[in-house]
Amino acid sequence: MSEMRRLDPILLEVLWNRLISVVEEQARALMRTSFTSVVREAGDLSAGVFDRRGRMVAQAVTGTPGHVNAMATSVHHFLREIPAENLQEGDALVTNNPWQASGHLNDFTVITPIFRDGALIAYFGNCCHALDVGGRGLGADARQVYEEGLFVPVTHLFRCGEPNEELFRLIRANVRAPFEVIGDLYAQAGSNDLGGARLLEMVEEFNLGDIEALSEEVCSRSESAMREAIQALPDGVYENEAYTDGFDQPIKLVVSIHVEGDEMHVDYSGSSPQSERGINVVLNYTAAYTTFGVKCAISPEVPNNAGSFRPLHVSAPEGCILNARHPAPVGARHIIGHFLPGVIHGALARAAPEKVLAEGSDSLWNTQITGYKKDGEPFTYVFFSGGGMGARPTEDGLSATAFPSGIRGVPAEVIENISPVIMHRRELRPDSEGPGRYRGGFGQEMEIGVRGDSGWNLSAMYDRTRFPARGMRGGLPGAVGSVRTASGEPLHPKRQQRIAGGERVVLSLPGGGGYGSPLERDPELVARDVDDGLVSVERAREVYGVVLKEGGHPGTFIVDVEASTHLREDMKPASGA
Amino acid sequence: MSEGYRAGIDIGGTFTDLVLLEEATGRQVIGKILTTPEDPSEAVEKGLIELLEGEGVTASRLKTIIHGTTLVTNALIERKGARTALLTTEGFRDAVAIGTEHRYDMYDIFIEKPEPLVPRSLRYGVRERVFDDGSVALELDEEQVRQIIAELRERGVQAVAVSFLHSFRNPTHEQRVAEILAEEAPDITVSLSSEVAPEIREYERTSTTLANVYVRPLVERYLLVLKERLGRLGFGGSLYIMLSDGGTASVETACEFPIRLLESGPAAGALATAFYGRKSGFREALSFDMGGTTAKACLIEGGEPLTSSEFEVARIYRFKKGSGLPIKTPVIEMIEIGAGGGSIARIGPLGLLKVGPESAGAEPGPACYGRGGSEPTVTDADLALGYLDPNFFLGGRMRLDREAALRAIEEKVARPLDLDPAEAAWGIHQVVNENMANAARVHAIERGKDPRAYPLFTFGGAGPVHAYGVARALGAPGFIAPLGAGATSAFGFLCAPLSFEFVRSLYGQLGELDWEQVNGVLEELEGEGRNLLHASGVAEPDIRVRRLCDMRYTGQGHEVTVEVPDGRLSSRDTGRLRELYRKEYRRLYQREGPDVPLEAMTWRLEVTAPRPDIQLGGKGDSSSLAQAQKGTRKIYIPERGGFREVPVYDRYRLVPGMVIEGPAVVEERESTVVIGESGRADIDAARNLIARWS
Repeated sequence: MSEMRRLDPILLEVLWNRLISVVEEQARALMRTSFTSVVREAGDLSAGVFDRRGRMVAQAVTGTPGHVNAMATSVHHFLREIPAENLQEGDALVTNNPWQASGHLNDFTVITPIFRDGALIAYFGNCCHALDVGGRGLGADARQVYEEGLFVPVTHLFRCGEPNEELFRLIRANVRAPFEVIGDLYAQAGSNDLGGARLLEMVEEFNLGDIEALSEEVCSRSESAMREAIQALPDGVYENEAYTDGFDQPIKLVVSIHVEGDEMHVDYSGSSPQSERGINVVLNYTAAYTTFGVKCAISPEVPNNAGSFRPLHVSAPEGCILNARHPAPVGARHIIGHFLPGVIHGALARAAPEKVLAEGSDSLWNTQITGYKKDGEPFTYVFFSGGGMGARPTEDGLSATAFPSGIRGVPAEVIENISPVIMHRRELRPDSEGPGRYRGGFGQEMEIGVRGDSGWNLSAMYDRTRFPARGMRGGLPGAVGSVRTASGEPLHPKRQQRIAGGERVVLSLPGGGGYGSPLERDPELVARDVDDGLVSVERAREVYGVVLKEGGHPGTFIVDVEASTHLREDMKPASGA
Repeated sequence: MSEGYRAGIDIGGTFTDLVLLEEATGRQVIGKILTTPEDPSEAVEKGLIELLEGEGVTASRLKTIIHGTTLVTNALIERKGARTALLTTEGFRDAVAIGTEHRYDMYDIFIEKPEPLVPRSLRYGVRERVFDDGSVALELDEEQVRQIIAELRERGVQAVAVSFLHSFRNPTHEQRVAEILAEEAPDITVSLSSEVAPEIREYERTSTTLANVYVRPLVERYLLVLKERLGRLGFGGSLYIMLSDGGTASVETACEFPIRLLESGPAAGALATAFYGRKSGFREALSFDMGGTTAKACLIEGGEPLTSSEFEVARIYRFKKGSGLPIKTPVIEMIEIGAGGGSIARIGPLGLLKVGPESAGAEPGPACYGRGGSEPTVTDADLALGYLDPNFFLGGRMRLDREAALRAIEEKVARPLDLDPAEAAWGIHQVVNENMANAARVHAIERGKDPRAYPLFTFGGAGPVHAYGVARALGAPGFIAPLGAGATSAFGFLCAPLSFEFVRSLYGQLGELDWEQVNGVLEELEGEGRNLLHASGVAEPDIRVRRLCDMRYTGQGHEVTVEVPDGRLSSRDTGRLRELYRKEYRRLYQREGPDVPLEAMTWRLEVTAPRPDIQLGGKGDSSSLAQAQKGTRKIYIPERGGFREVPVYDRYRLVPGMVIEGPAVVEERESTVVIGESGRADIDAARNLIARWS
């Protein structure tokens, strides 16, 4: 308690920021020592520090909400399986249990206890995507989690600093890319060690003993800030529903948000039952994206930790798509999970329209390719891509930007450097934006192939090919996505499919929805998009009501102000305003 | 070395600072003159003439000039570069717009991304393709290149960046485009990504190349004019350009790679802080440089500034990391904010007092400059508060108009807020101090450092005026103002040893490297480096050579740099290199990686001249504090709520061992130190003024 008094506001700020810089360094170390582009380029990871009781105190801003918020609860699961008193210095624990961590077998979470003078004072944890975990390979095709790969319950990865060779042998024998998977597990353990070393330096420097008092202060301040943000919303029930493509049948997502004083309850009753295919979401992952969706609407500046989660409750009926029961298949759970923030924003639009986004591409487009290199060696490669983001109340949506996921794209040069995959084209996708006073972001279009003459497997995990991103307050929907071969043959957006040698696949990612009527968009901005070749002259006239004439140089345009004004007048009644 | 002079010249947004150093004695003379934005070399020439005439020496005795400028940074922030086009591999013209697809703030849905320097309509896809192993998959379509060039000419394009996929492995297509451009449009400037930033990752490489060529015509023109002017003065020595990492480059290199000049002035300030630190025994400090337009802060640890291999220029969203253009070039790490003497004070939409980031610059300048400025600025406030002497600005060479300052403050700040002008002026002074303290705090704290543990090392024309307030706001233990604080950045150019770095990609697994080839490359680079230093008069035995190799575990994406042992290398050295790598890896990441082979990616070679030995201190011409006092003046003391008469000291008469009790003012020609009521300052052996408080 004496320490509590020592935490004057400035010292608290310094320590808090120091913790954040420690976990940032932890995350950076993981990226820099990783053997896969998914982690080091795409940043599909999370890193954080937990107090003695297993509460998350700070997290790196690097990474994705699905990992960060799912990891927040995972330390408790680890400690339930292996109690703290059985842990020793140099231990590191691992699991990929979807129900205890981030929702599918392809993420390994590694937790390392940190000791000071023999006493356990904290845990460092991180979670990142494994290139392969065996089974059918990453995808949505499985009918049970057993088909999706090796399931590692909470186990020692290192014991007193020594690798658990039995586990490593087991993994090596079960995965398609043992070299990368084992390398990354080393990187994960190393990054926790680095975080631990920095934490010990900090504890030493400020003579803290442990971080309990700091954690208490951080969590309680965050909790009250979160409560204030909820309090600012009018009490009431806010509802919304949305459809996603599903595997073969559309999936319905229903949300009702109950705001009562300084507490919020988000419930998903009424959503579709769990699917027979691997697009099911575990509750831990549902909660992760729910928390994120709420937070970026009402309290973006409140730090994310055990405290800020407290006033927020998430529920979904057991057996529904958002709370799937073991052994449901869950490989492509992100496809549904990524829709949740958009559904939440749609619901909160009634309470706080100036704080929410129109719908965007939402679900990340994940591509896994397997096949054989020229020398006959098998390869497996994964990359993620973002479509257009929904328009904001005061700005256009961002083009080709992942939301809600926090990943990065992988440079074509890196993809080609480490795999036989060839990126033939990657450009913004014209006319894909949802028109609006503020338009949605443009999707992107890529054309991919594999070097050599042999055929290959495409595991598609794509959505919004049937239900476009809806606009908000008069904004129009963005374009739906599609996947086909370069020769024009349509492909299934969620199956593993065989592609003939030499053939290319074209991915057209969805655009984001618009915000406000397109007839209110600044005509100069429409002209600029036309100049840039992103919006066609016809679309400018038919959808935005902007008439353009040839500018000084071929291919440049200027606004015909008078004609546009008339046209917009004519269009208004027709649009039912 | 023959006896002569060296000069450091730093062009800032408002002032151009010059330092002349007599090599034999280490004596420095300082000059400060308003920057001439139309042609910045004009102020350089004028300032140099004044300094040389003051010393009674001719330009021919000047052996070396080291120069830095904010030209590049400003052009990128204000988007005032050349009309530029991009030629890239067909299918990839949006790489610069798509960027990393990343939201740099996970929770803020209102973030903005920087517009590429080139609009989509000037980004051309060229039919060609090279694979990652350097093999050509599709020959360059030269006919198409010629058509594009014809269109570029028609559209008035002045500069072209060429950035093809995998060009860092095989640059021939980029080189061929440069040849065709030279034939068809010799007046168009070109930069190749394989030369500007030969590294994997097309977005960052293209962004760096674009920025480089975007500013290149501007920098070339400027340096050409500067050389002419210096030649006319009779200067026959070597002109070097300071780089953003504290290294130096020839004018030719600077013209080719202007992006490496990005933050050279502030970098030199950080070098100067480190230099004074080594001399005076404070190895940890927060350097705080406040000029006319911006303020910069940089942490010095263990006597060295922090460095980084990449930088972001022109951040557009709340100065947030990720909202600027990525530039792959080595830099000294610092934070820069729009707060300087010229920062304009105004009443914001919420009825609150705001200061900056808009600046009155050198033209029209603060209201008190009497050059047509009517907006109240920080300098106007400092003048109104008595901190500056209207008759001794720049040593009396520029008269300030106190009435004009008061008028502007009265009209734009005091009346709307219903304050008296002195209170309003104090408000401006305080708000800008708080802004700077916040930025410095974030910079320290982001690195997990307690800003209260570091003394502020303060310089720049306005730095020492505000140091007391900023240091107090930060909770720092004190501040240090060197002699000649008004031109410390320019002095920093002179304390850096001449040094050149060369980089060459030569890839191979450690066990399979062609060591003859490696030795050949290292020897070639070393020869080049030694020649450059010889040409600058550095004697052979004084040259220090360091050889480095970037290595990684096969399969990783990031490298660890290891210093390579001296002498010719052979396969017998692989064991040693592996050990050095593992040791460094362990130091960085706590744990060794799995047992896989190592690969070597890039070889680096640095040649460095000895650190110049500059004597500080020397004798002032005073024996007692009373003699050093040149008068008294009324300054605003916030603790007393009004003006009080305080002593004014002549900085040049303060000698080691003297102690000054606050409140007091210490004046030198180019800056003024204000010591507040609870401060107490002493002069150390190097004649630094060190202020502390209880």
